[in-house]
Parts: sequence; C-alpha cells; structure tokens
Amino acid sequence: MDITSKSIRELREMLDGKEISAHELADEYFGRIEAHDEKIKSYITVTKEKAYADAEKAQTAINEGNASPLCGIPMAIKDNICTDGIRTTCSSKILENFIPPYNATVIEKLEKDNIVMLGKVSMDEFAMGGSTQTSAFAKTKNPYNIEKVPGGSSGGSAASVSASLCAAALGSDTGGSIRQPAAFCGVTGLKPTYGRVSRYGLVAFASSLDQIGPLAKNAYDCGIILNSISGYDPHDGTVSKRETMDYTSKIGQSMKGVKIALPKEFYAEGIDADVRDSVLAAADIYKSMGAELVECSMPSLKYAVAAYYLISSAEASSNLSRYDGIKYGHRSEKGENFNELICNSRSEGFGEEVKRRILLGNYALSSGYYDAYYGKALALKQKIRAEYADIFEKCDIILTPTTPSVAYGVNENISDPVKMYQADICTVTVNIASLPAISTPCGYNKDGMPIGMSIIGKQFDEASIIQAADAFEQQFTAVAPVL
Amino acid sequence: MDLEMVSYLSKLGKLTFSEDELKKMAEEMTSIIEIMDTVKEIDITYDALADNHNVYLNDLREDVSQPSMATEKILQNATQSNNCFVVPKVVE
Repeated sequence: MDITSKSIRELREMLDGKEISAHELADEYFGRIEAHDEKIKSYITVTKEKAYADAEKAQTAINEGNASPLCGIPMAIKDNICTDGIRTTCSSKILENFIPPYNATVIEKLEKDNIVMLGKVSMDEFAMGGSTQTSAFAKTKNPYNIEKVPGGSSGGSAASVSASLCAAALGSDTGGSIRQPAAFCGVTGLKPTYGRVSRYGLVAFASSLDQIGPLAKNAYDCGIILNSISGYDPHDGTVSKRETMDYTSKIGQSMKGVKIALPKEFYAEGIDADVRDSVLAAADIYKSMGAELVECSMPSLKYAVAAYYLISSAEASSNLSRYDGIKYGHRSEKGENFNELICNSRSEGFGEEVKRRILLGNYALSSGYYDAYYGKALALKQKIRAEYADIFEKCDIILTPTTPSVAYGVNENISDPVKMYQADICTVTVNIASLPAISTPCGYNKDGMPIGMSIIGKQFDEASIIQAADAFEQQFTAVAPVL
Repeated sequence: MDLEMVSYLSKLGKLTFSEDELKKMAEEMTSIIEIMDTVKEIDITYDALADNHNVYLNDLREDVSQPSMATEKILQNATQSNNCFVVPKVVE
C-alpha cells in the first residue's frame, strides 16, 4: 500500500513510531504531486520550501514527544484561505498576485499543531460554482475520470485528497462546496455548524453562509482536523463561544436506537436512480445496525435553490465591492478617472460567473425588488430552519443524497448557469439553516464514479454525524481512483 | 430581463460589458430570474426580530490597543504606492 493513500490516523502511528520522518513523508507527497498533478490540476501553488521548514518543526515536536494529532501531517489549503506571505488567488485573475499580509485563524491553529502545508489548491472563482471549471488558473479534473469535473467549489481540495496528493485538505462551504466535491471525488467532507470555525482570513463570499471545514479520507480524520480548527476567535464576531469538544469522541458507539430521518423530497424526481438507490441501501445498513428510519418531509425544499442564490448573491455583491484595484488586486492600465479605473479593473479581473452573481445580487437588493426577492428569501430561510427544527424534534440525524447525480463531464452544464444552480438542491438548506453535515462515499455507479451521502446533524452536534459516517465507513469498501 | 436593466445593474456593480456581452448577460439573467421567481409563489413574511440567533453581538472583545500591521505589509499588494495608495485624480 502506497504510504500516501493512508489515513491521518495511520500516518500518525508511522510518524510517532519513527517508521518515517516528517521530511520523508512530505517527499512522498511531492513525488506524487510531480507525477500526477499535471493531469489532475489540483494545486495552484506548491509550497515546497515552507513544507520542508514545517516538517523540520514537526519532527522536533515528534522527537520531543510533543506531537499533536496533526503534527507532521501533509495538508493542502483551499486558495481562498489567507496564508501570510503565500499567494492566495481565490482562483481569480483579480487576486492573481495577492500575497496576504496575515494568516487566517484556521491556518494559525493548524500551524500551532505543526501540520506540513504542501500548497494551495484550486477552486471555482471566489467559491462560486460546483465544477472548479470557473478557476482562472487550474481547472481541476476528477481523479476517477479526468473527463469529469471534481465538483466545487472546493474541487482542488477534494481531488487532491482523492488522488492522495495530500493527506487531507481544508475547504469552504457556502452552499455545498465541501460536500458536493467530496461526493464527486469519493472522499469525506465535513461542513461544520455556522459559528463553529472562525471565518477570519477566509475571503468572504456570503458571510452568513460561509464556513471552513475539512476534507479527508474518512470521518475520523475530519474529526481530528475539526478538533484543531474549531473554537472561539476574537477576530470573528460570528464565532460561537460554546466550548469545543473531541469530535471523534462518539466514534465506535453503537447506532442502536439512533433515529435517522429520510425527508421524502430529497429522494423524489430529479435525483438519479443510482444515487437514490445507493443512499437508501445505506439507510438499510444503518437499520441493520439497530438504527430506526423515520420518514419525514421538508415541503420548502423546492424553493431552497432560489432562496440560497438570492441570499448568497446579495451578500456576494456587497462583499465583492471591495475589489477596486487600488489597495490590492488587479489594477487596469486603462481608466482616465477614478471611476473608470475601478470599472475596468473589476471587469478585467472578474470571470463571467462572478459577474452574474454580482448582477443577481444587485437585482435582489435594488429598490422595487428587495421585498419580492431578498425579503422573501429571508422568510424562506426562517421557514426552512423551522422545518429542520420540526424534523429534529423526532430524529437525531438526517440522511440525504449529497448530489442529484454523480460527477458530470467537464464540458457539460458549464454554459448553462441555471442547470448548475439547480444541481445544488441537496446541499443548500444545510447552510441556510446553519447546520453541520458530512458527506461520505456510499457507492459507485456502473462507470465507477463515486456516489456520496450526507448526514445532517443538529447545530453543534458534529460528534453525532462523525459517529454515523464512521459507522458506515467501517463496513464500506472504498475504491481508490487509478491515476 | 431587458438590456436597460442589465446596464443599470452593471453600473451599480461597477462592471462594464461590450454590446455582445450585455446581450448574452441579459439572456442568462432572464433564465436565472425565472428560477428566482419561484419564491413569489409562497405567501410568507420575514420576521426580522426572530432572526438574530447566529450573531453573537455581545461577544465583543475588550477595547485595548494592539500593535497595528506594518505599513509595508499593508502596501505590499498595491500596484501603485508611494508610502500611500496612489489613485487617479479624484477632484477635478
């Protein structure tokens, strides 16, 4: 077994047992990146020099017997998370040469735990998209079939974990951007509760929905990373002061008596049969473990995509107004006056999808349309939250497909934004309701493409969804991609 | 969505489009707005007072001075700077 295909837990044992040094482990991953990433295109920036310096620090901690669970573990970071002195592009021409002058809080926390940072990975531009094909720099491919998309927006994170080009990665999730690529690439991805992880240093897309989370080989590894990155941060007023915990602490506990809700709308028309059948088969496996399956309903699901795009685009149009080419970012060489300079810088720097979202956000917020669109979307947010609260009155966790289909072709849907938006139906309500959810592989279609299922939990109950995902993973035979 | 509306929204977003781009954008925005229109089917009202549970506004940190970021770090990403950000003439 190739060392790069091992989980964090296995690598920890090897590092602590001195079977391999942190430097040698980083070498293994860089060798693999050099051999395969030209094809997969997951990395935008490889940070070799920093990785070896990180490895040296990690090795000292290991030698002194002070290794944290992530000490010496090679990780990739989504390119919308600020890294002091290391280019952070958001896959956008407007930030092509942006070097952050500070670290995101999650980076500070991971560095304190002595991870080895391998580099920055690709994404849809400003995290807007589900294919990573809107990236201005690296249009990442799916490791299971390079003719297919890896999903998005954290497509570089998911593909790099799937192809074993890192042991784990950080992504961000605004409407499914961790879970959907995790499902397409056959890995596990966790979107924590809104407010569990600091957003300080995460380039803002939709501030009320954005959340950073891990993508890894399994649920246990996601829990280990969440243990490191979660918790209060004085730099982010939306982070909860609630105590953190060991999110792996429920792993191994019996699923007997756990009530699992299956909202019927998530299994209705529009969901491909192979996806639906795989997730329902997983539900039966939980039943065989002693869990109780409960049918339920989420009537507002049909409005969720519209509500999500109205809220997220409204927030994005405001957040993206900071890109003016003056203080940082692309600055046009054309422009006779201040206004022209800003318009030209933005028009040259932003890609098509970003521009569409800005226009949609402006439309939803503009006078005469505000109540009909943005106001109604906020009302729907409250209704969706209430419907989740009703379900959680009777159940412990919720099981749904992560995506309506498996990964599609790299040239499909790209020119049809409406089709792309509708594919987010299974994931957006989780962000709208600020809930945690984890996606883990539950099968493969006839062409060998991975199928993902999502387990949604109550607010701040990440431990239960990690437990449930792990319980399934223990009896599931995952098939790694052949590169 | 007509061209006039797309032009207006572009102006609000400080974006410029060529004539062809504007036409294409108008077509795409029309299809996008069709999906957004589904929210009009449902008769519910937003309750602003009930919607503050995710913002922990009382968790403010103490008002104590802290070291600022160095000027060169602030300016490191500006295309044009001279110990300050350089911009075209704003006041005629």
